[in-house]
Amino acid sequence: MPLSGLRTVAKAQNGVGAFILQCKRMDFHYCDFGGSSRGMKDFIQTALPRFASKYPQIEFTVSPRPGQHPAIVGHFINGKQREVSVRKLDNRQILEKVKELRDASGEKLVRSNKPVTSTNESVRGIWSPFHGSRVKI
Amino acid sequence: MKRLRIARCGTQLLAPSAPRRPSCPCTAAFQRNSTPHNHRRSLTVQATAQLPDGETRHDIAASEELSEEPLKRAHSQARRHPPEALPSPHPRSAKQSAKLAALRSRLSLPSRFPLETLARTLVHPSADPDPAFNNASLSSLGSSLLSYYTTEHLFCNYPRLPIDIVFAAQYAYIGPKALATIASEWGIEAAAHPGGEVDPGLLQFLRLRSGEQLPPALRRRTPYKWNLTKTHRILVSDEFGSTSAEPNPEDLAKKPVPLEEAAQSFVRALVGSLHLHLGSPLVKRFFRDHFLSRQLDLASLFDFRHPTRDLSRLCAREGFEAPVARLISESGRLSRHPVFVVGVYSGKDKLGEGAGSSLDEARVRAAAAALKAWYLYKPLDVTVPSSTEGGVGAEAWKPNMIDCGEVIV
Repeated sequence: MPLSGLRTVAKAQNGVGAFILQCKRMDFHYCDFGGSSRGMKDFIQTALPRFASKYPQIEFTVSPRPGQHPAIVGHFINGKQREVSVRKLDNRQILEKVKELRDASGEKLVRSNKPVTSTNESVRGIWSPFHGSRVKI
Repeated sequence: MKRLRIARCGTQLLAPSAPRRPSCPCTAAFQRNSTPHNHRRSLTVQATAQLPDGETRHDIAASEELSEEPLKRAHSQARRHPPEALPSPHPRSAKQSAKLAALRSRLSLPSRFPLETLARTLVHPSADPDPAFNNASLSSLGSSLLSYYTTEHLFCNYPRLPIDIVFAAQYAYIGPKALATIASEWGIEAAAHPGGEVDPGLLQFLRLRSGEQLPPALRRRTPYKWNLTKTHRILVSDEFGSTSAEPNPEDLAKKPVPLEEAAQSFVRALVGSLHLHLGSPLVKRFFRDHFLSRQLDLASLFDFRHPTRDLSRLCAREGFEAPVARLISESGRLSRHPVFVVGVYSGKDKLGEGAGSSLDEARVRAAAAALKAWYLYKPLDVTVPSSTEGGVGAEAWKPNMIDCGEVIV
């Protein structure tokens, strides 16, 4: 057996071929009686149908949660979910929160202190002592 | 490589759909003029015991076609047969599923791809053993298509790739693990337990409980032969060069299976159903976008045993001068971290270069680099066979390069 193949799995590159939006579901919870849900109810009646028809790849569910503050729960492809409270927010502010959830990847928010993160190997290669300008001692 | 069975599978599946579920109110009304497929109905073996009065699916379907008001009768039947009695969701419920519609637009599939078919691709034989409702046939078609497109991509673009690396690359692109990963990256969720009342947008399969053993069809796989040669693996075995045959989907009926098995059958069935409903140009685009766009470094798949020996055999075969390793530069020979850079030369041509912490390591790395450079040769102008299919927009066939193969040591 002069040569054998190693078994791996090809890595996904979302957006290189197809792009898949990472938010797959959004749940909207509101209360019929509470004043903090006034903006949410307005949003569900006016802005949500237009937003939902614009993003058919997201599943939208609306359900009452009596006696609770209004909230939006985003479910992501990686299995995580993120809940945003929209208590006492108005129509426009809620739309911004919804757009944030739509654009999120579902990963935890992590500060990245490297200029480039890539799976490709660096173009310049690993530093080598035999190339570049020689240091004269 | 597995032989292609597209024509046979395709014609079987492309037949006009028969009125399938007996209790569906709409199909009986709309499809009264279509000829019933008696041979297909004779395949229904399951769930007849759940129907009352000894009435079988055959009787109901026959009486539906004859009756004057099929809709009313079907409604009464739907009341008599609740969805919980069915092994998998009714095709009628696919239209109401938000998950299915979301999945279709998430994969950018056109709206002429029916949701009912998408729902069927999500039903594994372990949930519904009826071949008219599960994804077994679509899955075998999709498996052939996937292996066809991947093989032609690899063979045409990398004509010198050794067969073991081709097997490994196939496994990396469309192997069971890769397909299960792809399914999870598409946002597929699995149902806790299959049934007629479950949302059809969930993957339907019988789950393996913790501590439970795999079904015998998956557990004990008899090899094709005990002394399996490479020729046999190329000719008889599947696209991954496996030593044993894949399990028959009929053997998995009503048997608990792992999630990976169900997820890979879904991805294959989806490709098969796309081929039937939308045609091959769209499947090729789908394959390029979702499968070939994944990142795979072919150079990292090589595992050489004796690269220096292989290289000298290769040079002898190709009529090059025998390879000679020469030290290009070094640093810190007597230190704790020596670095040697060695090049492999054939006459005045440098075939490869490698760095290592000993002279021998550097020489072996250089030989491996030279072999990889030879095997990973990629011609500039490539025509894959499938791109010449179809009348409009088909490319003219230009013969590809064919190499005499890897070195035999």
